[in-house]
Amino acid sequence: MQDQDTSVSASPDALRQQLQQIGLELASVEMMADRPATALSDLVAAAATASAGGPPEFAEALSLARAWASGGRGPLSAEARGRFALWHGWMEQAVTAWERGRSLPAWPADLPRAEPSPRPAPPRGAGAEQTVPLLPGGIDADMMQLFCTDCEDFLRDIEQGVLVLEERPDDPETLNTVFRAFHTFKGNAGMLKLVVLQRVAHELESLLDSARRGQLRIGRPEIDVVLAGADLFSRYVTAVSDRLGGRQTADSVALPVPAVIDAVQAVLARRDVAPPPAASRGTAKPMPPAEPPAGLMTVETSSIAASAEPTPEVAVAVDPATASAGPAAALRQAAASGSVRVDTGKLDGLIDLVGELVIAQSMVTQNPAVSGAADEQLARSLAQLRSICSELQRTATALRMVPIRGTFQKMGRLVRDIAVQLGKEIRLVLDGEETELDRSVIEEIGDPLVHMIRNSADHGIESPAERLAAGKPAGGTITLRAYHQGGFVVVEVTDDGRGLDPARIRRKGVERGLIRADEHLSDREVLDLIFAPGFSTAERISDVSGRGVGMDVVRRNIERIRGKVEISSTPGLGTTFTVFMPLTLAIIEGLLVAVGDQRFVIPTLSVRESFRPQPGAVSTVQGRGELVTVRGRLVPLLRLDRHFGIQSVFSDPSEGIVIVAEAGQETRCLLVDSLIGKQEVVIKSLGETFPPGRGFAGAAILADGRVGLILDTTALVRIRNHTTETAA
Amino acid sequence: MTTLPTPATGPAIAAPGKYLTFTLGQESYGVPVLAVREIIRLCPITPVATMPPHVRGVINLRGKVIPLIDLRLRFGLPAAEEHDRTCIVVTQVASAAGGTRPYGVIVDGVEEVAHFTAADIEPPPDFGGAVDARFITGMAKAASGVKVLVDLDLISAAESATLELPSADKPSTVS
Repeated sequence: MQDQDTSVSASPDALRQQLQQIGLELASVEMMADRPATALSDLVAAAATASAGGPPEFAEALSLARAWASGGRGPLSAEARGRFALWHGWMEQAVTAWERGRSLPAWPADLPRAEPSPRPAPPRGAGAEQTVPLLPGGIDADMMQLFCTDCEDFLRDIEQGVLVLEERPDDPETLNTVFRAFHTFKGNAGMLKLVVLQRVAHELESLLDSARRGQLRIGRPEIDVVLAGADLFSRYVTAVSDRLGGRQTADSVALPVPAVIDAVQAVLARRDVAPPPAASRGTAKPMPPAEPPAGLMTVETSSIAASAEPTPEVAVAVDPATASAGPAAALRQAAASGSVRVDTGKLDGLIDLVGELVIAQSMVTQNPAVSGAADEQLARSLAQLRSICSELQRTATALRMVPIRGTFQKMGRLVRDIAVQLGKEIRLVLDGEETELDRSVIEEIGDPLVHMIRNSADHGIESPAERLAAGKPAGGTITLRAYHQGGFVVVEVTDDGRGLDPARIRRKGVERGLIRADEHLSDREVLDLIFAPGFSTAERISDVSGRGVGMDVVRRNIERIRGKVEISSTPGLGTTFTVFMPLTLAIIEGLLVAVGDQRFVIPTLSVRESFRPQPGAVSTVQGRGELVTVRGRLVPLLRLDRHFGIQSVFSDPSEGIVIVAEAGQETRCLLVDSLIGKQEVVIKSLGETFPPGRGFAGAAILADGRVGLILDTTALVRIRNHTTETAA
Repeated sequence: MTTLPTPATGPAIAAPGKYLTFTLGQESYGVPVLAVREIIRLCPITPVATMPPHVRGVINLRGKVIPLIDLRLRFGLPAAEEHDRTCIVVTQVASAAGGTRPYGVIVDGVEEVAHFTAADIEPPPDFGGAVDARFITGMAKAASGVKVLVDLDLISAAESATLELPSADKPSTVS
C-alpha cells in the first residue's frame, strides 16, 4: 500500500526529512494529549513512500507505526506515544545505518512487533480550549513584541488574501501569500517555542498547501476555517500585546486550539475523497493526495530544521510567483526591499529639526549681510542650500505618509462578517488603496469608516429577495474609494442599496425631538440629521448597527481631525458618504493675520471668505453686540483684539479685515487688523501649561522663527456673545 | 489642632546635591541641576491671551514650542526691567502624561552651580503665612548667602491646576 508511487526513488535524505517532520509532530502530540493522530498518520504514510526501495525492515516498521496511529482516528494513548518515541529513535539510527551501508540496529526489545488492540479514544468536549503561555520561558519581552508586530502583518495578509480567495479561489499568487504568511508564522512560533500555535499554523499551512497544489478547492467552509485560525492568532497576539503593555496580568490565554485543528482536519479529510485534479504535470498517474512532492517538502523541512528562522529568502525561493504584480505581491516586495520600523517619536523629532533647518536656512539667506553680498558663488551656494532644504522637508514629511490600504483591507473582513450575519450578499470593491495619508489621520479614520460601512451594509443594502424584487442583482456592492482632491484626501463609501428616504428621516427627526414638525429643511439638511446624536433609522436594534450611536460619532471623529463628512443619497439607488480629510494632522494651511503686534494663524478650512467691511456695514445691538452684513445675512462679529486684550492699531472695523469663519452650521465674523498671507504651518501642541478650549488650537513656528498661535475657530465661533463683552 | 495649615502640605525637604542658583531681584534661588536642560538668552516671546500674568507665553526652542514662566511674578515679586543678564532657564519638569516636558522660566540672572550637603540644607521655616511656601523645599546656606530651593515640578503642576480656576468666572450662559 505504501509503495503506490515508485517514481519517487528512495533516498536516506527524503526519509530523514520525513522523520524530522514526524519528530515535530510527536513533540506536539506530547504537548496536546487529545490531538488526533491524523497528521502523524499522514506523515508515516509519506515516510513509507520515501522509504520505498529501502531495507524491508523499514516497510515493516512503518506499517507498524501506521497501525499505532490507528489511521488517524482519535488521539494517541500515552502508551502509544511512548512506543512512537522509541520507534522514532530506532528509525533515525536505522536511516543513518542504511545511508552508510551498515547493518540496521537491533529492534528495541520493549517495542512490541505485534499490533496492539486500538483503544477507543475518549470523546472530546466541543468547547475545549488550550492554554497558551503569553511569555514563554526564556524569551524576552522584546522578542515577543517583535513577534506581535510581525504577526499583525501576517494576519493582515491572511485576512486580505482570504477575501480575495473568496472571489477567485484559484488565484495562485494569493494562495501563495496566505500560505507563506502561515508558514512564516509557524516558523516564528517555533522559534519562540509556542508549540501549540506552531501546530495550528502547520495545519492551516497544510490546508493552503493542498489548495495551491490544486488538491483542495477553497470554498466557504475552508475560508471560515482559515479565518477562525487567523482569529485565534489574533487573539493570542492581542493578549500578548496587552500583557506586554501591562493592560493585563494573566500569563496565559485560553484559545480554542483543538476546535480549530479539528475544523482544519475535517476540511482536509474531505480533500481525500475529492476527485484528483487535472495535475499540471500532465501525467495520467494521480499523485497520492497526502504525499506532497518531495521538492517542496525539502524546502519546508529545511526551514523548520534551521530553527524555523523567519527567512523571507526561503519563501521567495519557493515561490517565483511573488515577482508578479498585484497588491499582495507589491506589499511583499516592499517588505523585501528593506523597510525599517521607526519609532514615531524619533520621526517627529526629525521632522521638527528639518522644519528648524528650513527656518534657519531662510534666516541666513535673508540676512542683509548675506543677501546684500555681490558674490555670485555665494548666491549659487545659497540657492542650492535652499533647494536641498525644501527637498529634505518634503522627504521628511513623506516619511509619515502611509497608504490607506491597510485600513481598507480591514473593511473587507467587516463586510464579509456582516453579510454572513445578515444573510445578504455584499461585494466590497476597493479603489485607490495606494492613496497616501499621514499615519495619524489613518488611525483616526478607521472607526468612522467602520460605522459608515456598517450603516451601508445593514441599512443600505437590501436582502437578496428585496433586491431582486426591485430589479437589481441579488448581490449588493459597497465601494470604498480614496483619492486626492485639492489639499485633501477624499474617502467615499458608496452602496447600491435602497438609499435614504428623506420623508422617513424627517419623521424620525420630529419623533426624536431633533427638529420641529413645521421646520423647513432642504433634503440635504434632512439627510444631515442622521449625524445628529441619538438618531437611528433602524426599525429594530440590530447587532450590526442601529444602536443609536454611530453616525454622530462619525461626524465628531472626523471633525476632530479637521475633516468633514457629507452624505448624498438617491432613493432606490444608493447612498454615498464622502469624507474630506487633511493629508496630515501635522501640517495645516492657514491664513496668517495680524492683530496689533501679534500674528495668528487661522485654518483655511474654516474660513469661508474675508473682506474689508464698508463703513456702516457693522451695526450695533443694544450698544454692545455687533453684527456684520455678509451677503445679506447678519453675522455676529468678534473683535479679536478685544477678545484677546491686545492693543489694536485702530478701532473702526472698516479699517480692518473681517474673516468669516464657520464651524458646522454656525458662522461668526472675526475682526483682525490685516491679512499677511496664506501659509502652510506645522502644528505644535501648546503643552500642558495651556489648557484646551481657550481659543487656541496649537502653535506654529513662523518663517521668522517666532511662535504664532493657531486659532481654534470652532471655539471662537461657538463662543457666547456674553463672554465677548466680558473680555472687551 | 494647633498646627498652622500652610507648611503641613509642603513638599519634601530638598535632597543634597548640585543646584543651579539664580537671582530674582535681591533674592537668590536654587533648582536641582539635573532638572536644568539649558540656559538661553531672552528671545522673542509670543504671549498667550487669557493666561495669568506670570505665564509670559511661548517661545521657539529649536522647533519645539515651550511655555515660559516669569518666576518673579510667580513668586509675587514686582516685575522688573529686562537687562542683559536676564535669561531663560530651560528645565525639565514632570509631565502629567508621564515622562518630562520642557518648561522655561525667566530669571534675573544665573549665579553658579553649587553643591549643597545635607548639613547645608535646612527645612523651610514657618513664615506664618506671610510667604507662599508651597514650592519651597529648603533653605541652603552658602558662602554668598541663603538660597531658596524650589521645586519646579510642583510649580508647573500647580500651573495647570490654577488655570482651571479662571474658567469658573467665565459666564457660559446663552445670551
